[in-house]
Amino acid sequence: MAIRKRRSFGDIMDSYFEDLEGEFERWRESFLERPSWNLKAGTLEPLRDMKVTPTEVVVTMDLPLTVESSLQVKPLDNETLEISAKMKRIVHFEELGVKHHKGEFQRFHCHTRVPVPVKMDDMKIRFKKGLLEIHIPRKRG
Amino acid sequence: MSEEVSIIERQSIPQGATILLGFPDVGLVGVIAAEHLVSELGLTEVAYVDSRLLPPLVVLHDGLPHSPIRIFGKDKLLLAVSETPIPGDIIYAVMYALIDWAKKKDVKMMVSLSGIPIQDRQDLKELKVFAAASNQSVLKTAQDKGIETLSEGYMVGPQAVILQRSARMNMPALALMSQCFLNYPDPEAAAEVLKSLAMVTGVKVDVAKLLEKGEEIRLKARDVMQRTQQEMTKMKKSQELDLPMYVS
Repeated sequence: MAIRKRRSFGDIMDSYFEDLEGEFERWRESFLERPSWNLKAGTLEPLRDMKVTPTEVVVTMDLPLTVESSLQVKPLDNETLEISAKMKRIVHFEELGVKHHKGEFQRFHCHTRVPVPVKMDDMKIRFKKGLLEIHIPRKRG
Repeated sequence: MSEEVSIIERQSIPQGATILLGFPDVGLVGVIAAEHLVSELGLTEVAYVDSRLLPPLVVLHDGLPHSPIRIFGKDKLLLAVSETPIPGDIIYAVMYALIDWAKKKDVKMMVSLSGIPIQDRQDLKELKVFAAASNQSVLKTAQDKGIETLSEGYMVGPQAVILQRSARMNMPALALMSQCFLNYPDPEAAAEVLKSLAMVTGVKVDVAKLLEKGEEIRLKARDVMQRTQQEMTKMKKSQELDLPMYVS
């Protein structure tokens, strides 16, 4: 007969955080193992980061050469944001150090999924020195 | 372990040089600063790192293969730079090899150019540069120039290994770290670290061009930053933001 050892609270928490870390790593790798550009759409994917605090989710994005007035942050549903912005000028592949592809880019574009329930309608946006900061309050209860 | 990593010299290397180090890390401060030094001072490749521990990649320049970790130089100035993040599990081997090689070359000083992440970086008008060193005398050199000491805290990554190994081998090593973004390329921070470098070593470059090209650099550095983020996560780089527990 198999004997099941009771797991301590610490073990359960360790396993929870290991799972969470693994999930995050898989997500990060899936994001990494594809190009950061889309030639067909003429878009570049911006660098981004996310911080979940007890009260809000803060998404930041590096958007150099962006025309501020063209910046669009659009909730697609309760958990997904679409960010799009026009660049001040057309950027050619060659300028990015690549000579074996031909093409040009004029926009940043990406989708970002928020991992906890949030109030999308109360989202606040700040754009400073090419850095976008999106603050979304968390839904409680 | 350093036998697994070789430094191949392309030309004769002078004794008693100053060696600067710029590796992919927070804000890519070291790499951006290093690239600016190479172009402004007209440094050329004088040596490179060869190792089967490195990922199977070469960097192509004008159709010819180059090691991702190269040493540039001119007269008595050497600069080691990596164009790809160094995986955490081989940092010890690569840094030990570089330091052992530097010891053989009787280097005057090793200066690592890097960053220190800070929250709300975008709200800072002025960035501070901090110093840490392998011994008190080198630290005093930086202090005498008005550079603040990073007196307590954690350091993770190549510069941590450089300071530790240099201290053990009684070699003069200094780490200059500018406040910077953790995950975004930070040319302004690179400019600040270069200003401090000039004060300590006399290696002076005009940083105006670097600041002018800031947005272009941020655009081009996206993929290297993304790869660097992955390595920094693996080596628990965020520990640099931890509050230290003092044991005295």
